[in-house]
Amino acid sequence: MAKVVPRPDHLSFWERIYFVEIFKGLATTLGHARKSLLDADHFKVINYPEVQPDLPRDYRARHRLMKRPDGSPRCVACFMCSTACPARCINIVAEESPDHHIEKRPAKFEIDLLLCVFCGFCVEACPCDAIRMDTRQAVLAGDNRRDFVIDRTKLMDWEPKDYPLEDTQSQKAPGGALHDQAMEAFKSGTYH
Amino acid sequence: MFLFDWIQAHPYQTVGLILPIAIPLILFQVLPLLVLLERRGAAFIQDRVGPSRAYIPIPGTGLRIRAFGMLYNMTDLVKLLFKENFVPPFAFKSFYWLAPAIPVATGLLTPALLPWFAPIAYQDGSAIGVLPGTLITTSSGLLLLFALGSLSVYGVVLGSWSSNSKFSLLGGMRASAMMISYEVSMGLSVLGMLLIVGSFDLTQIVDWQGHHTWGMFVQPVGFLLFLVSMFAECNRNPFDVAEGESEIVGGFHTEYAGVKFMMFMTGEYLHVLVASALLATLYAGGYELLPFPMPMFVDTGVGTSEVVWQWLDTYWIKAHLGGVLAVMLGMTGLLLIGFAWLIAGRRANYARQKAQDRDLRMREYALYTGAFSVLGIGMILGAIMSGLFLHTEPISRAGALAAYSVPIYPGWVDAVTAVIQFHVVIGKTMLFAWLFIWVRWTLPRFRYDQIMGLGWKVMLNIALVNLLITAIVAKAIGGGR
Repeated sequence: MAKVVPRPDHLSFWERIYFVEIFKGLATTLGHARKSLLDADHFKVINYPEVQPDLPRDYRARHRLMKRPDGSPRCVACFMCSTACPARCINIVAEESPDHHIEKRPAKFEIDLLLCVFCGFCVEACPCDAIRMDTRQAVLAGDNRRDFVIDRTKLMDWEPKDYPLEDTQSQKAPGGALHDQAMEAFKSGTYH
Repeated sequence: MFLFDWIQAHPYQTVGLILPIAIPLILFQVLPLLVLLERRGAAFIQDRVGPSRAYIPIPGTGLRIRAFGMLYNMTDLVKLLFKENFVPPFAFKSFYWLAPAIPVATGLLTPALLPWFAPIAYQDGSAIGVLPGTLITTSSGLLLLFALGSLSVYGVVLGSWSSNSKFSLLGGMRASAMMISYEVSMGLSVLGMLLIVGSFDLTQIVDWQGHHTWGMFVQPVGFLLFLVSMFAECNRNPFDVAEGESEIVGGFHTEYAGVKFMMFMTGEYLHVLVASALLATLYAGGYELLPFPMPMFVDTGVGTSEVVWQWLDTYWIKAHLGGVLAVMLGMTGLLLIGFAWLIAGRRANYARQKAQDRDLRMREYALYTGAFSVLGIGMILGAIMSGLFLHTEPISRAGALAAYSVPIYPGWVDAVTAVIQFHVVIGKTMLFAWLFIWVRWTLPRFRYDQIMGLGWKVMLNIALVNLLITAIVAKAIGGGR
C-alpha cells in the first residue's frame, strides 16, 4: 500500500539544520531492523522458490481452455480471442464439429507465450467463457522457444480440484464436484 | 629444546613476539563479520531476509549448513579470485598494480598503533619489563596514526589516475578533495581531546578516560565532528562520492576487476574497522569497562561498611578477575541463548510456510538452536563457576566456598585481563561499525557542493570554536600542562 508523502512547502528551522532529522531517520531504520530481527513474520519477502507466492485468482497468468462435461473444449473457434489479441499470439485452426448444436471446434489452438503480453483481452473477448487466465502459473520456464508455444492438450491439462468449489464452470468438467449433474444435463441437451 | 626453554623462561616476551602476527590475523577474522553485518543490517533495515542461499552440504546427514550467510564471504572470495585478472591496455601499469595494495597496507598498519589492552608489567630477572598494549610503542602514536590514515587516499588517487579513464579520474578527484578537506576538521576536533589529556600517547588517553570519564562525554562536539570526519575518511555514506553508479559508473575502481577490486573492498572495510576502533579508543574509553565509577561497599572492620566510588580500571579487574569474568561470560551466555531463541522463532515461522525444503531447514534450524543453547548454558555455567571459585587475592571471604576456591597464577591473571580488555575493545568497535552501517542505509548521499560546504563552512568553524573553548577550560581547570 503506497503511502503518499506530500512535499513540504517550507522547512522549519530544525529541518533546515538537518541534524535532528538525521536522528529521526536513524530511529526509523532502527525500528525496521529491530522488527526484522525479532519478528520473522515482519518480512515483506518470501523464500522463493522454496516457498511459492500465494497469487490471487484474478492474477493474469498462463491461459487454460475450459472443458465441457465430456472433456471436449468449450471453444467454438469463433476467432474472437485471436482478433482481440494485440500481440497476435493465438493461432486457431477451425474444423467442423460433430455435435450438431455446435458449428465449429478448434482443430488447432496454439498460444505463443513468448509473444503474449498477458493483457487478458482474449478472456474478455471470449463469448462462451472458453479461455481463462486463472492458472496462477506466473513463472514459465523452458529450454527452447518451441516449449513456450502451448497447444490444445497443454491448455486443457488442468484438474478441477485445483480450483475453488465456487468456480462452477471448472467443477462441471470431468473430475469436478458438479460433473455428474452437468453430464446429465449435457446428455439431455439442456446444458449451456 | 633451547627454544622451548626460552619460551618457558620468557612467557611475556614470547607473547610480545606473537602479537604483531596475531592481532592483524584476528582483525582479518573480524572483517567477514563486518561484511556479514553490513549485508544483514542492510537487509533487516529494508525488511528483507538477507544472505541466506549459499550452503555447504554435510554428506550423509542431509544437513545444509548456511552459517547465517557467512559463506557468502567464501563464495565472493572464490568468485573474485577466479575472475580474469584484466588490465586495461590504456592503464599506467605500475601504479595501476600498486594502487589496490595501498588501502589494505595502511589499514593493516594502523591497528599496530591502537592499544588493545592495558600495558602489562612483569618481572624479567631483576629488571621490570613492560608488555605494551600497542604493537608499536611511541609517544606520538596518534600523529603516526593520522599520517598512515591519510596515506590511504593515495590508493584512491593513484588507482583513479592510472586507470586512464575519465570516470575513474572524476571519482578519484572527488574522493581526494573530500578526504583532504575533512582531514582539517578531523585533526582540529581531536585536538580538544589531546588538550584535555595532555598526551599523544593513545594508551595514556585510554588510561585518562578510565579515571575520569569517556571522551564522548567530555568532548561531545569533538566526538560528533570526529565521527562525521571518519565517515568522510572511510568514503562511507553519506560521503561516498568516490563511487556513484548513477553518475560516474563505479568511481575510482571502475577499471578494476577480480582480485584487485577485492583488495579495494577489503581496504574499505578495514578502514571502517580501524575508524571504529579509533573512535572506541579516543572517545569511548578503549579497553576501560565503564564511563563512571561504581559504588562499592568496603568493610571497615568493625561490622560497618562505607561506600567507596571505585573506578573499574585494570587494577580493579585484576583484583576481581573472577567477578568480571563471571559478568562477561554471563552476558555472552545470555546473548547466545537469546540468539538461539531468535532462531527457534525463525524455525517456527518457516514451518508455517508451505516450503519445498521444509524438513531440510527444520533440521538446520534445530542444529543451530541446540548448539547455541548448549554454548550459552555452558557460558553461564562457566560464569557461575568463575564467580564462585576464582579468586586472585589471598582468601578474604568467609564461608564454605572459600575452601574450594582456586588461586590462579599472576601470569594467567595478566593474560585473562588482556583477553577481557581485547574483547571490550572489539565489542565497542563492532558497535561503532554498526553505526557506520546503520547510517549508510539511512541517509541519502550529499551533493558534492554540499559536502564541501559542510566541511569548510560548518565543521571547520565548529571545530575551531570547540578547540578554543576547550583550551580555555583546560587551562582554567588543569592549570596548564
